[in-house]
Amino acid sequence: MAFSYLRPRSIDEVVSVLAEHGPNARLLAGGTDLLVRLRSGHTKPAVVVDLKRVAGLTSDVTEADGAIRIGARAVMTDLIADERIGRNYPALVEAARVVGSVQIRNRATLAGNVCNASPAADTAPALLAYGATVNLVGPTGKRHVALEDFFTGPGRTVLDRGELVESIDIRKPNGPTGGAFGRVTRRWGVDLATINLAIVVTSAGEARCAFGAVAPRPVLVVDASGVLSTRSADPAARRAAWTRLLASTSPITDVRGGRDYRQAMLEVVSERTWNVAMDRLDASRKKDVRA
Amino acid sequence: MHEPSGPASPPSPPNNDKWIGRSHERVGGRDRVTGAQHFIADIHLDHVLHVKLVHLPIAHARIVSIDATAALAVEGVRIVFTAADLPQPVPRYGPAFADRPVLAVGETKFFGEPVAAVAAETEDAAEEAARLVRVEYEALPAVITVTQALDPSLPLVQDPSLRPTHPLKDTNRFQEWTFGWGDVANAKADLVIEHDYEFPMVTHFAIEPHVFMAAPDENGVTIWSPIQHPFVLQRVVAASLNWPLSKVRIIAPDSGGGFGGKGWPKFEPLVAYLALRLGRPVRLVLTLEETFQQVRRTSATVRARTGFTRDGLIAFQDLETNFLLGAYADIGVRVVSKASYAACGPYKTPNARVLARALLSHTTPTTAFRGFGTPQASWAVESQMTEAARLLGIDPVEIRLRNVPAKGEAFIPNDTPSDGDWRQAIQRAAQALDWGKPLGPNRGRGISLGLKSSSTASASLAIVRLHYDGSVSVLSGTSDMGQGARTVLSQIAARELGIELDRVAIVMGDTSVVPYDSSTSASRSTVFMGNAVIKACADVKAKLRGLAAKAFRVAEDDVEVIPGLVRIPGKEVTYLETLKAAYGPPRGEVIGIGEERGGGYRPEHPLGGSPEFWEFMCTAAEVRLDPEVGMVEITRLVLASDIGKALNPLQVEAQDEGAAVMGLGHSLMEHLILDEQGRILNLGALDYRIPTTQDVPLELQSILIENQDGPGPYGAKGAGEGGILAIAAAVGAAINQAAGTEIRELPLTPERIWRAIRDRVTSPK
Amino acid sequence: MKPPAVPLTLEVNGRTETLEVQPHHTLLEVLRDQMHLTGTKECCSCGECGACTVLLNGRAICSCLMLAAEADGDTVTTIEGLAVDGRLDPLQEAFVAKGAVQCGFCIPGMVMSAKYLLLTNPQPTEADIKEALVGNLCRCGGYLRIFEAVHAAVGKK
Repeated sequence: MAFSYLRPRSIDEVVSVLAEHGPNARLLAGGTDLLVRLRSGHTKPAVVVDLKRVAGLTSDVTEADGAIRIGARAVMTDLIADERIGRNYPALVEAARVVGSVQIRNRATLAGNVCNASPAADTAPALLAYGATVNLVGPTGKRHVALEDFFTGPGRTVLDRGELVESIDIRKPNGPTGGAFGRVTRRWGVDLATINLAIVVTSAGEARCAFGAVAPRPVLVVDASGVLSTRSADPAARRAAWTRLLASTSPITDVRGGRDYRQAMLEVVSERTWNVAMDRLDASRKKDVRA
Repeated sequence: MHEPSGPASPPSPPNNDKWIGRSHERVGGRDRVTGAQHFIADIHLDHVLHVKLVHLPIAHARIVSIDATAALAVEGVRIVFTAADLPQPVPRYGPAFADRPVLAVGETKFFGEPVAAVAAETEDAAEEAARLVRVEYEALPAVITVTQALDPSLPLVQDPSLRPTHPLKDTNRFQEWTFGWGDVANAKADLVIEHDYEFPMVTHFAIEPHVFMAAPDENGVTIWSPIQHPFVLQRVVAASLNWPLSKVRIIAPDSGGGFGGKGWPKFEPLVAYLALRLGRPVRLVLTLEETFQQVRRTSATVRARTGFTRDGLIAFQDLETNFLLGAYADIGVRVVSKASYAACGPYKTPNARVLARALLSHTTPTTAFRGFGTPQASWAVESQMTEAARLLGIDPVEIRLRNVPAKGEAFIPNDTPSDGDWRQAIQRAAQALDWGKPLGPNRGRGISLGLKSSSTASASLAIVRLHYDGSVSVLSGTSDMGQGARTVLSQIAARELGIELDRVAIVMGDTSVVPYDSSTSASRSTVFMGNAVIKACADVKAKLRGLAAKAFRVAEDDVEVIPGLVRIPGKEVTYLETLKAAYGPPRGEVIGIGEERGGGYRPEHPLGGSPEFWEFMCTAAEVRLDPEVGMVEITRLVLASDIGKALNPLQVEAQDEGAAVMGLGHSLMEHLILDEQGRILNLGALDYRIPTTQDVPLELQSILIENQDGPGPYGAKGAGEGGILAIAAAVGAAINQAAGTEIRELPLTPERIWRAIRDRVTSPK
Repeated sequence: MKPPAVPLTLEVNGRTETLEVQPHHTLLEVLRDQMHLTGTKECCSCGECGACTVLLNGRAICSCLMLAAEADGDTVTTIEGLAVDGRLDPLQEAFVAKGAVQCGFCIPGMVMSAKYLLLTNPQPTEADIKEALVGNLCRCGGYLRIFEAVHAAVGKK
């Protein structure tokens, strides 16, 4: 397992190292995924590039361009502690809370979790449902990619040679919203998700649903019919909407669960999570009215 | 007829005893909380060579060739050791049967069996070289289930030449036994229940992975191993080297969890050969994944058929216990016989038949694991009791009370009778769980009884040295792997000799220093080693008596030695004063020896001897189920153990609770998943899940039944395994009640529960 | 060609250490093998068991998931650094007093995680304690006594 370790000080340095080494370089932020792969021999880079001294990559949570911007080095613990994220994106906080243990959350970055592109990543459904954009920087400059276009397959993203993530933006809601996260595991303690999902409902009539661990990449589907943003819709119409949304998932059988169990859990947990999202939408509406 | 054995227990200490029955601070506790405790991986040896193993990505393969060229070219590599480098024929070893080669010969028989060992100056070099060893192999079909092992058309795991005169040598049935009494075939019953029950493959997952070291020394060789049974290891290594015992020294540092997985030899013979070949110390550290590959519990399919009268009395028990060993017998073969012999459980059974099989397979060699086969058997038998209760309309607590023998009543003919008030334990457990109270929706309750035989035919010696200043060292071959043996033995010695606990030193873990002890297993150490220490202290006191008589010029008959004091006519003197008077300036010490052999070896007994005592635990559980998802919360758990006397109550409770939490693992979440090639798919901590802080019962209560009716010190029996013996059946009964199912396969994962609810069928049958 | 060693200066248990490390060696390996601080334990080496937990810049992390090289300029506290002038931390006292220590192998990591909890949440609920320690596996099953020990250490100096 012989690789060189680099500690660049600027984004330009990182970009040029990445451009030079391509797939033989690996970026290191929190290390909670990378070190496991290095040990197992899954990944055999020539160069490991530590991002933690790079000026321009921060762990800050700021507001910019009508969004909340999460720096590339922000770790799960930072997200959980941030009041704005808790207020605006409770489903993301719920997801961040179940990523590993405290020790993992103190190191694992949101950006790293996204770049790792596991189909079962707990933060992905919430980010998708709230509407996230990944801000990239590379040899050709900056570009912004909607998260739903960022993942291309298990462990694969649109990152080009030389590119890295600078920050992740989440749209600020422009009206009352309610978001919630749900998942199924094999035990109460730390676990990878058998399935996970996030649902964000808005008073504008949208239900944005994102599912993980049930397709090669996390899946976002949106129902704009309004049927899923009110409790008074016709039950048959609601069932039809769910059926349509869940049709975009394709769960498989693996060591964590069987396909039929996953399919059933999608239905059960979607309903439960939707109820929580609706409660939060109601609360958000009340606050909006009072404001 | 079995007679109570051992010495008459010393009279019970009074209630205000300073030492016994008090939860004294764990000896070694401070070192563990400061990081000062040296576990084996923390021990540094100068000039050591690091060893890494080479193994194949499948279970069963023919080794075609091993090319070490590239590996040997790595800087710092000293040897790539294979079977060809060993004496020929390659030595085989094993505690019950010497079937396991020091390195794979011709074929690998299980996933993780090493074909070569690399030794190098650094761990990095050894790892790199191990990756570069090229093994050409041919995949062979693997036998990995009970059904396959029973199929005569499938390949043999072991060559028949290993046991040429054995009637079963041409099968994968390593051994078979039939136990029983009465006439099962003609027994009448109003209700007969028959089902198969499945107990999965699980691994010990001690937090300390295995480490082995060896070095040549002035007498022969020293082995370091976190071995629970140093003297077993000594004889097995000596046999594999063809050396006398006196040339093999075992140093056994306190382990970071054993649970049986560190009981029996694994790679010690290999590191011994390496060290002797290289003339230097060697160190082999297994990864957690490699540790999983080396040890597991003996999995089982138990077919149970029980007949009941309409009043719930057992008319007969007819069991077929098919235990799946791995590729080598290890001590798994003993697991099968011991557990099957007592598989009928703590019940008055007029007619019983147990057909037990130890089956070979191309899987990890099975070894001892807390409970030693009883969890596997009780899952079946206790589930049958619960089902009978339901079908007969009898309360599950009541059906057990009706069938359990009274204290002193035999239940296995001609063997150790019930030695405890088991009804009391059942009643107290049921009461503590509020058994009769109504249950809410999606809730269930279960109760189970676990019974395990303690050791049979074993021996413990202890040496107690009373030093010149009145302090004491206790030399004992028991190992402390967390159960607190050091603490308990200190308490006993302190009490018997009347000295402060902090003036007692416990010396363990070095066969060149401590006297012989069979093993730290079967919950035997408090009884056997405890009694041996008491006898050694008695020996010290007897010798003090003689010394006092001479020193103070009185008749021996006029001297009385009690804890801490020597009484002679007209005065009382301390031990210190006696020693000074006896020895003067040249000084000296008094050495006492004690030996406990229990009922002794009985060759005519199927187990080699009768159980010295029974370990009995009643477990009661209440669960809350989320039926749509299958997730279970253990809302309440009660443990009532019949332990005779708790010498250190805190330690006993910690053991009972810890065993129960461990048992929740195989009950709810643990199972090794194998593919058809015998490869373990969930190797390592990522996908093999054990209970965490979030998986513990919301309420757990430990009840210690202390009737001082054990053969050990102050009426003690053993403890440590009770909590895991039958927890699966209690939890399973509760889940089945809450879910309206009859699941008979462990673990009861959310998906399995969900599926059973959905199907409302039973599984397997 | 062997990759170059990485120079490292960091503070460990209050002492400044300057050394060179192999790029691929984890902080856990360097603490144990180069600095001879063997109190921190190695078990799963993939961040699941918590036996290797240390405090890095005041935060509990798994030292097996960090390259030693990353720790340049950082402050590390291991189990050996918890006692002050030979006086045990209240957590350490409580772990022994409450019977939370069985085999002891999980204990250094467990105590460090508990320490982090009390530093960030001085009045934890039982639920807080369970979540804070969920990344520390104890196979001896001593969790309930571990919870008691943490409760007992609350508010003590």
